[in-house]
Amino acid sequence: MKNKKFVYFVLIPIFLHMLIFIVGPIIAGFAISMMDYNPLRDTNSFVGLANFKQLIGDPVLMKALTNTLMFVGVTVVLNIAFSLMIAQLVSIFKSNKIRAFFRMAFFLPCVAPLVASSVVWARSIYPTATGLANMMLKTIGVNPVNWLGDPNVLMWSIIVFTIWVDIGYNIILFSAGIDGIPTNFYEAAEMDGASAWHKFRFITLPLLGRTMTFVIIMTLISHFQMFAQFSVMVLKSGPQNSGLVLTSYVYKMAFELKNMGYASAIAVLLFAIIFIITLIQQKIQKVDWDY
Amino acid sequence: MKLKRKKIKPIYIVLFIGLFLISLFMILPFFWMLSNSLKSTKEILLDPKHLIPVNFTISGYVKVLTKSPFFYWLRNSLFITITNTTVILLTSTIVGFVFSKFQFRFKKTLFLLVLATMMVPSHTSMIPGFLLINALGLYNTAGALIIPSFVNAFGIFLSKQACDDIPNELIEAARMEGASNWSIYTRIVIPLIRPTIGALTIFTFLNYWNDYLNPLIMINDIKKMTLPLALSYFSSQHTADLSATMAASALIMLPVIAVFLLFQKQFIKGIATTGMK
Repeated sequence: MKNKKFVYFVLIPIFLHMLIFIVGPIIAGFAISMMDYNPLRDTNSFVGLANFKQLIGDPVLMKALTNTLMFVGVTVVLNIAFSLMIAQLVSIFKSNKIRAFFRMAFFLPCVAPLVASSVVWARSIYPTATGLANMMLKTIGVNPVNWLGDPNVLMWSIIVFTIWVDIGYNIILFSAGIDGIPTNFYEAAEMDGASAWHKFRFITLPLLGRTMTFVIIMTLISHFQMFAQFSVMVLKSGPQNSGLVLTSYVYKMAFELKNMGYASAIAVLLFAIIFIITLIQQKIQKVDWDY
Repeated sequence: MKLKRKKIKPIYIVLFIGLFLISLFMILPFFWMLSNSLKSTKEILLDPKHLIPVNFTISGYVKVLTKSPFFYWLRNSLFITITNTTVILLTSTIVGFVFSKFQFRFKKTLFLLVLATMMVPSHTSMIPGFLLINALGLYNTAGALIIPSFVNAFGIFLSKQACDDIPNELIEAARMEGASNWSIYTRIVIPLIRPTIGALTIFTFLNYWNDYLNPLIMINDIKKMTLPLALSYFSSQHTADLSATMAASALIMLPVIAVFLLFQKQFIKGIATTGMK
């Protein structure tokens, strides 16, 4: 009886709060995606799937979607490749001090506020005339690049920035995974004369399966939702919308153009993408990775 | 054996130097920010190539601290972050305890509901969230960034997992001796899940300290901004004043980096064990 009271005492306020501030807005998000909703108007009408029909024929949305897929695809692949490589190389050192030093250096950009890092890169590294990037290129004789103004370069500049900013997390996760592999596997391989590459290819990589799935899924989900660097580094969607991604399109549509119905439809699309990735994760996780 | 060692050593050195150069690249943007924040804007524009400022000046910092409401921003950020972190720690651990150690109806369904909310991207619920805050009259107040954050699904999930490791016998024994649920929570649960609380504190703190999207849609008044929003606003208002922009960036980053360097081990361990971002 005492326990029941305690449970109610704790859960009722918590779930009321969740209902109002978390679950409610999620459901309302889907509802608004089926309305022609402008917050400045008194009445907003239900339009069914009209917003979603509009999505299909919207060239700007197609641009934002392809930009997002390109950004996420390239960034996640490079992020995983680099972070796995660096984690593996760092783990070769036996000294804890050396390991800690490298992990700290690689993790530093992850703790700094993303907005502040974006401002630093946009205003002191990427500027064409005074930026650090072009000055470094100049010393090796490469012509200056218009990092944030050239529609063919803009997304790549953000990709480089995002890898720099986010790689530390995955290095830590891979390092933990690598440290968790029993050393006797490697000892056995060494007795058979396996090379470092073979040890990585046939022991580390397969045994890292569970970490790998987790890291790939989490990185995918978080990169689809990246927003701050686009908001800071991209001026007005970039030339020819080259810097527009789904998140910045939702923001622009909802808060600059006040078309919240259509913005919600784009947000539902973003949700659908992340939902599919989560479903895939659920499927994969059922596979037994134990060793 | 000796021969083998001599062969390996140069590889280690090359590897170390290689990794060291990459880590210099990781740190370089911070160094460049500091360096530029200590230059005059004139030097940044006319003679930008020096890694170390030719003429040191703190005029950028002076400008940020005296010509902008920096201390309002700092106070707002501190107030919102500390309040949210404290409340989330309390709600997460107590709800985690309830889900882990009590039996009640719909327990599984409710817990699944908590987990399901984590899957939804913030951009999907942000528009109704904004409308709700507006309807409650909280737009442009610190409450807009605090009240919706009282409950955190990931915190609940982590705390429940930590509580699952506490043996049931321990809780039962305390009950036998007449301990109330509240005192079991404060005297047994809290001390035993301390590592999780540590990790959760660090990440909740960082999460709200660095948050940009919510302040961006909820706050309009300059004096009510938090630091990240204020920085992006400041840098767009002072595009010509690079020295002050870099100084403002440095002022926002340094506290976080200092905290990170102090609690490095906990940070790294926290991520490795929870996979938290």
